[in-house]
Amino acid sequence: MGIPYVPILGLVGTDLLKRRDDMVIAADPFDGKTLSVVARALRPDVAVFHAQKADREGNVSCGYEAEVVMLAEAAKHVIITAEKIVDKITAKTAEGAFIPSILVNAVVHTPFGSHPAGCSGLYAPDKDQMREYVLACRDNTTFAHYLQDHVHAVPSHEAYVERFVPALWRNPI
Amino acid sequence: MNFSYNDGELMAILLSREVRNGEISACGALSQIPAAGLLLAQALHAPDAELIILNSVFTPFTTSKSFHYLAQRGDLGLFFVSGVQIDQYGNYNLHQIGANPDKPNMRFPGGYGGGMIYYAAQRSIIFRTEHTRRSLVEKVDFISAAGSTPPDVLRRGQPSKVVTPKANFRFDSQKARLILDTIHRGLDYEDIRECTGFELGVTAAPPTPEPSEEELTCLREVVKEKMIATNTYADWARKTLGNALHV
Repeated sequence: MGIPYVPILGLVGTDLLKRRDDMVIAADPFDGKTLSVVARALRPDVAVFHAQKADREGNVSCGYEAEVVMLAEAAKHVIITAEKIVDKITAKTAEGAFIPSILVNAVVHTPFGSHPAGCSGLYAPDKDQMREYVLACRDNTTFAHYLQDHVHAVPSHEAYVERFVPALWRNPI
Repeated sequence: MNFSYNDGELMAILLSREVRNGEISACGALSQIPAAGLLLAQALHAPDAELIILNSVFTPFTTSKSFHYLAQRGDLGLFFVSGVQIDQYGNYNLHQIGANPDKPNMRFPGGYGGGMIYYAAQRSIIFRTEHTRRSLVEKVDFISAAGSTPPDVLRRGQPSKVVTPKANFRFDSQKARLILDTIHRGLDYEDIRECTGFELGVTAAPPTPEPSEEELTCLREVVKEKMIATNTYADWARKTLGNALHV
């Protein structure tokens, strides 16, 4: 995107605004008096997100809303994790949002990469695992345990899938 | 007339009465009661109302961005929203509960588009299925969207009402406060005072006009059928509409 900031309708008077130093209330530069929130544009060093499909050149088909396109357009580096690697994706064959390879630096083949959250059109959120995560978030000790079990002690993504994704999802009958 | 109905049916009917013919009215995610209210209004008094029920077949948009742009232009007449807490100033909280904002007791997913739509829609109506001192509070623990803003702030609309299973409140924009408007069947002023965490702003309030036979029948037949056929909160419709025992 590359713009310096964006004006926003709303958010004035919220506690969200109090907790953000990248959003301020400013006067409309044209009439000099109407106030609205202005947010500094994000310029992420790296954007990582999950998609349903990618090809070997880095063209991406993302079966949900177009916000990810904006994210890819704003970031300096873009890494895509994808459920499936296919031969060729074009703007015409993409299902949902299309991200052209010129914006993408790396694609990682990552089946069940959204787990325990869901991946639109492929699998729903894993409610049991989500519940475990939410309970673990209640304090730092339980969260540290969760992180140890689900991240640090897991040698690879394959091992994660083997251990935490329900067997029936991996090998449907 | 003395019909029996459950809270979900009552609230859907009360919300439907707020929909104006010819306007664009919308509700967001997890909004089964407003969704039923919107469809009921369209079936009864607002045949030319444009309805937007997000995450259902009743939306012309494929992205929420397009919906947000419509709201930002000021084209959205009515928006239904809910909050974990609602306070006397018309602020609602969808973020977190707890006196210390840095150490909340409970966190919620947040406000999503509400922090914009609450300022953009001509009228916003807050619905809340729990009417207690913990949901209707003097001051919310976290303001996700503010009921009022200073006059110089860009804002296209205002809160209009709060609807619960016990009463309706209206938003007085002069005082920037909620005022008890009407009291639902079977309850009196004292009951409402007891279960509301803030001053009611009046010393008495008239009864809420009761659901009519026409409204109830249409909700239980036409609307229920439509929700099931279009898979719009179908499970909720099956369980709630036409089942007076369901609370």
